[in-house]
Amino acid sequence: MLNYKIQTHSLWMVVLLLNISTVDISHAGPITFNSALPVSEGVGILRSQVKLTRKTGDITSQNRNLMVTAVPLVLAYGFSPKLALFGVLPYVDKRMDITIANKRVRRQTNGLGDGKFFARYTIYQVDKPGDTLRIAPFAGLKVPTGAHNKRDALGVLPRPLQSGSGSWDPFAGITLTRQTLDWELDAAASYQLNSKASGFEFGDEARFDASFQYRIVPQSLDDVGVPAFIYAVLESNLIWNGKNKLAGTTDINSGGTRWNLVPGLQYVTRRYVLETAIQLPVVQRLNGTALETDWVWSAGMRWNF
Amino acid sequence: MRILRNVLVVFLLWFISLGSVVAGDATSQKATIQVDGLSCPFCAYGLEKNLKKVKGIESVDIDMKTGKATVIIQSDMHVDNQALRQAVKKAGFTARDIARH
Repeated sequence: MLNYKIQTHSLWMVVLLLNISTVDISHAGPITFNSALPVSEGVGILRSQVKLTRKTGDITSQNRNLMVTAVPLVLAYGFSPKLALFGVLPYVDKRMDITIANKRVRRQTNGLGDGKFFARYTIYQVDKPGDTLRIAPFAGLKVPTGAHNKRDALGVLPRPLQSGSGSWDPFAGITLTRQTLDWELDAAASYQLNSKASGFEFGDEARFDASFQYRIVPQSLDDVGVPAFIYAVLESNLIWNGKNKLAGTTDINSGGTRWNLVPGLQYVTRRYVLETAIQLPVVQRLNGTALETDWVWSAGMRWNF
Repeated sequence: MRILRNVLVVFLLWFISLGSVVAGDATSQKATIQVDGLSCPFCAYGLEKNLKKVKGIESVDIDMKTGKATVIIQSDMHVDNQALRQAVKKAGFTARDIARH
């Protein structure tokens, strides 16, 4: 029974939570992680995104298929020229089709997911005409705003299918951005220390992300003023997850390493950004029988106010 | 009749000169700031918003290619360079040269 519980939890949670929590919360820049670009003092940025995640290819007899829709709402505020504060609150909808006793059933939930609050401080900045280099560490806390005890007709939903994790999890990282009028290069490293909640502990998470953006429209900056830019984007996400623990027992069917390549497009104006990207897994070395990701598609907008 | 014509000419000349004085005042209240680090359109809004917060600034025009922000200052107000530099700094950028016109 314990093994079944561990397996059920671990198979779903690794990527489920990842896909909800790895929302880029920054200024214009990378789509799947944070940049070091400035949030001007007294300026707010509202970001909304729709993110669809599909996972199939279950090798067990349960033949699980998962579809997660997440709509995170992000608010950034420039407290000072160097200090920016961020808050994220997602709405999530999770649907899992699973075979139980030769019968195909759907288990699903929706509601508020776990929130994230963090601060970012610029420690290094070199500005030149049409060119900037910045380094900014960040740190924050994932808070259990989502429910983790919802039920359906079959009983209490497995923890990974809940909209929240129930735990308070600190995280920290550092991000580097070099941006010119023609291109932008970003790199970030971060670590999230997951804690126990109701007897369950998700494995920790480490990430290394990189992004390159190139302005494809306009090809030359002949117009006076602030023209809209279209960037072609290519990102890379290297994500490691530790093994989960249930009632103090390590789940060998959890955790692993994934590497995604993420092509995307961004339309950037003075007041808003429209963007879309698709995360395509290149390498997935997951422990045990964890489900692999087919794709993650996202589309969103950011608004300056 | 000649007197009336002379009065009209004088009045016209006075009016034209007055206009040029007013125009001269307006152009003298313009400053161009070379802003370093400005490299994307979305960042330009924060610069514009912080410059507009400076008391006496009427309008702001930003040119991405040259990195120049041109501000029009109300004719009856004085805005010193330090205030302009401070606004650029608050936006997260670096002000280099400031030219008055």
